[in-house]
Amino acid sequence: MAVFDTPEEAFGVLRPVCVQLTKTQTVENVERLQAQLQAVSDSALQELQQYILFPLRFTLKAPGPKRERLIQSVVECLTFVLSSTCVKEQELLQELFSELSACLYSPNSQKPAAVSEELKLAVIQGLSTLMHSAYGDILVTFYEPSILPRLGFAVSLLLGLAEQEKSKQIKIAALKCLQVLLFQCDCEDHPRSLDELEQKQLGDLFAAFLPGISTALTRVITGDFKQGHSIVVSSLQIFYKTVGFVMADEQLRRLSKVQAKPAVEHRVAELMVHREADWVKNTSDKLTILIKKIIECVSVHPHWKVRLELIDLVEALLVKCSQSLVESAGPLLKALVSLVNDESSEVQAHCSKALRHFADQKVVVGNRAFADILSENLHSLATSLPRLMNSQDDQGKFSTLSLLLGYLKLLGPRVNFVLNSVSHLQRLSKALIQVLELDVADIKVVEERRWNSGHLSASPRTSAAGPRRQIQRRYFRFFTDERVFLLLRQVCQLLGFYGNLYLLVDHFLELYHESVVYRKQAAMILNELVAGAAGLEVENLHEKHTETSPEELREIVTSILEEYTSQENWYLVTCIKAEEMGEELTVKQSGLQAITSGAHTCQVSSFLAFSNPSPTICSMNSNIWQICIQLEGIGHFAYALGKDFRLLLMSALYPVLEKAGDQTLLISQAAASAMMDICHACGYDSLQHLINQNSDYLVNGISLNLRHLSLHPHTPKVLEVMLQNSDASLLPLVADVVQDVLATLDQFYDKRATSFVSVLHALLAALARWFPDTGNLGQLREQSVGEEGSHLSQRLATLEEGLENTTTAEDIEQFLLNYLKEKDVADGNVSDFDNEEGLGCTGSVCGSSTVPQEPAPSLGSSDLALTRAPTHQR
Amino acid sequence: MAAPPPPDPQFVLRGTQSAVHALHFCGGAQGQGHPLLLSGSLSGLVHIWSLQTRRAVATLDGHEGQCVTWLQTLPQGHQLLSQGRDLKLCLWDLAEGRNAVVDSVRLESIGFCRGSVLARGHQHWTLAVPGRGSDEVQILEMPSKTSVCTLKPEADAKPGMPMCLELWQANSSPRPLLLAGYEDGSVALWDVSERKVCSRIACHTEPVMALDFDSQKARGVSGSAEKALAVWSLDEQQALQALRTQELTNPGIADVKIRPDRKILATAGWDHRIRVFHWWTMKPLAVLAFHSATVHCVAFATDGLLAAGSRDQRISVWSLYPRT
Repeated sequence: MAVFDTPEEAFGVLRPVCVQLTKTQTVENVERLQAQLQAVSDSALQELQQYILFPLRFTLKAPGPKRERLIQSVVECLTFVLSSTCVKEQELLQELFSELSACLYSPNSQKPAAVSEELKLAVIQGLSTLMHSAYGDILVTFYEPSILPRLGFAVSLLLGLAEQEKSKQIKIAALKCLQVLLFQCDCEDHPRSLDELEQKQLGDLFAAFLPGISTALTRVITGDFKQGHSIVVSSLQIFYKTVGFVMADEQLRRLSKVQAKPAVEHRVAELMVHREADWVKNTSDKLTILIKKIIECVSVHPHWKVRLELIDLVEALLVKCSQSLVESAGPLLKALVSLVNDESSEVQAHCSKALRHFADQKVVVGNRAFADILSENLHSLATSLPRLMNSQDDQGKFSTLSLLLGYLKLLGPRVNFVLNSVSHLQRLSKALIQVLELDVADIKVVEERRWNSGHLSASPRTSAAGPRRQIQRRYFRFFTDERVFLLLRQVCQLLGFYGNLYLLVDHFLELYHESVVYRKQAAMILNELVAGAAGLEVENLHEKHTETSPEELREIVTSILEEYTSQENWYLVTCIKAEEMGEELTVKQSGLQAITSGAHTCQVSSFLAFSNPSPTICSMNSNIWQICIQLEGIGHFAYALGKDFRLLLMSALYPVLEKAGDQTLLISQAAASAMMDICHACGYDSLQHLINQNSDYLVNGISLNLRHLSLHPHTPKVLEVMLQNSDASLLPLVADVVQDVLATLDQFYDKRATSFVSVLHALLAALARWFPDTGNLGQLREQSVGEEGSHLSQRLATLEEGLENTTTAEDIEQFLLNYLKEKDVADGNVSDFDNEEGLGCTGSVCGSSTVPQEPAPSLGSSDLALTRAPTHQR
Repeated sequence: MAAPPPPDPQFVLRGTQSAVHALHFCGGAQGQGHPLLLSGSLSGLVHIWSLQTRRAVATLDGHEGQCVTWLQTLPQGHQLLSQGRDLKLCLWDLAEGRNAVVDSVRLESIGFCRGSVLARGHQHWTLAVPGRGSDEVQILEMPSKTSVCTLKPEADAKPGMPMCLELWQANSSPRPLLLAGYEDGSVALWDVSERKVCSRIACHTEPVMALDFDSQKARGVSGSAEKALAVWSLDEQQALQALRTQELTNPGIADVKIRPDRKILATAGWDHRIRVFHWWTMKPLAVLAFHSATVHCVAFATDGLLAAGSRDQRISVWSLYPRT
């Protein structure tokens, strides 16, 4: 609607209004002027700038009390003019600046004048617009020493507003305006960068305000959380930009060389600050206090954007003022490190970026390398860690551990400097072990039983193909927050990733051995160390870090695995099983099995546990957890090694499968998920596939353990599960094991019959499944019987045929009677009379070609054959 | 607490599906991959087992279903000799995963006597196998397969068939020597180049089934069908002297091997047992009961691992008194 394009036209229109305003200064007249201005084009307005400004400035300068409303409308009108025009003259800029600031001047007090909020806002915006409308060249010259008093007034005015006003709008406007005044505005009107001299000039000028600005802003920043995050964000920004500008190493270095005092009048010279060494030292001391305050407050600020800004602050100050603010470097880094694990992913990402930047750039802070400060910090943290873990609440633990995690992330491979110190490693491990102590008092752990002894789930659960499943819920004595546990795991993983794995594994294995009190925690730590060493879930900030080689890792895992599955750490008492086995076996077992004392939650009972053969609930609980943790570890190891883990299946698969059938719910669950982990990690489609492909390893374990049945009472169960999950290719491998089973059954038929009969049942079911039609049975016999004529297979085949011909109960009974008689005959303890009858019977059995043969001692069977020979002749 | 449980094999290899008659360890020491165990079975197959995965990596079929009685890799590596009862001695090339017969030697004797080989320089070795006549031993130059000589006992000796052979070479002289155990229970030392018996002792009353010789200590051991092991030595005049006999519980030794570090010795027994003795004192150290049928053969790896093959179709692998 620019109606008046030329200055002449515009002048014609504006003149009466301006004259009117000059004569009588009323709100109406100002508004009339403003209304007319709307209709004037920018170029025309620029021509007439001085003319229009005159009545407005006249109004402001006119002596005597004025109504606020009038001032406000004048300022608004002024702002309008300035927003459409440029200020091209130095003098005008200075005068307008003073006149606008004076609007809020109250002669009596330090505080801004008690005027309406609208007026305050108008003045702030007026100032801001003024600075934007100034020509670039003019603007730079504006910041000459002589402006110092006036600029100082404006700055303190704005700071006061930002700090004390109630209205959020005013506060923000004041902070924005302050940014403009301090040359920090990032809008497009200030594109030019300053040259060295200009920077120095501005720096000298702003140095005078630094104390005021920094203290006032610190008060704002550390104020109430409820004041709104944008205020804190802006304040942080102004803080670090101002400090970063005035205290910039680059400027200060140049200042020390050239120290020419600018020629200014005396009054101003007093206000001027000369940034000499002393001043820098003093200021930085004071700033360090403020920075610490800010960090303390902001790093726990509930709003993530504030924490995000803190990262920028740290980054800016560390980059620009690493020399001048050397004292603050420690706290600044600490702040950064503690944000590495922030709950907001934006903050996390930004923080890691900043950290990576520092790590890459090998930033030097003061005279010390960045890494030195970090390892010093880590040293002192490691020293105090046990105490902190002892005394802090969950939140405190969380932030301490976040910090620890951050240091580890940052130091990367250099954590070894800390780990190589025995005392620090000990402190670190002590803290970890202490905080990871489990609460084993929960009786449910022992109580919960697995009732359904059903098959392993046949479906491969491919949906759970994600790398790591949920970990079993644990209850810790010293914290309840899950996040703390997560952090602890991450800490261990990072240690494993960057640290010397041999050293760490040695250390924690030692602790594992040392006492049952440490065992579970040490196992948890070892699990995570290995997972970390394999680089699972670890984000690497250090490009040059070489990971542990697969061979080394396999070696380490093998040794841990050996430890976990050793007799005394794997076969622990988890339930009172007197009902399960005979007296003598229990005695043997209690001798061999480590009855671990209760963890020290139950110290009273733990003493008894050694002498008392029946373990306490606590110790059984603790044992259950230990087994679960070890099982979980095996799952971790599988992931850590991937397909390489296949080689370890020969020693790992049997123990895990055995535990999958454990009666304790937790253990069987843990074992099942370890099996799933192994499946995924080693690239098997399903549990069945896993078992089938590795049945040779399982058979090995089974046959060796059958030799010591009293130590391994669950062996038949494993065989059963294996039979249920394998295919016919297993048969050649399993033949001799079934022989062993039969031999063992002969030996323990009174005590173990049930478990063996169920194995044999599984075997028959498997045979029926593998060879569904009779035609194949012949082949099977040929294949497995061989020329040696395995009794077993014949027997199996016989039984198999029997099954298919739908044997009745009578048949079985008859068969058994015949068999018993035949056996008596074979043993030779029959009378002549009996003998004849018996022979008749056996003859009929022989005729039906279902003669069972004695399984075990070959002498026995040959006797049988001799006795039988005449029968055939007859 | 009761006595410690009897030792168990470290692991057991299954799947030959036939009695195991020959075992031989190879590889591993010179960094040519993981160590392997070779087994020869009654059904004529040679299985190559990886000791790392404990699984058969390959099966060689070259003896037409006839029992494989002897397996030996040549020092150059990658080449395997297998002797079968199909009267054939096959030379296999195993390099880079190949498994092909590259050469074969026709044998004249159908007995159970295993051959023996002695490396003499690069790609050049001497082979001793039972010869055409029932009491003869034939010496061949390999790989040219030229017959060097036939060692026939003097007419009046009548030692019967050779049952086991061991070619060796003293450190002091380059002349190859042959120890042969005969059917009549005697052990003879042959000087191969002069084709004459240097010495002979009657160690056993039954046929000698196996012998092994420790050339450093100049001491050997032999096992026979009877209930004793004989230990004998060789003096500077190359005369065999019986040192002692070690009585056994059950008769019948199918194989006897001294561990490469010359510390212990293992025997394969017809009584299903593997017995382990201290080689210097002949003190019995262990009776390993695992197999359920005759043990046919034992073998030691360079790292000390012991393997035993049995008629029960299993190969048991044991780690005994591991060297530290």
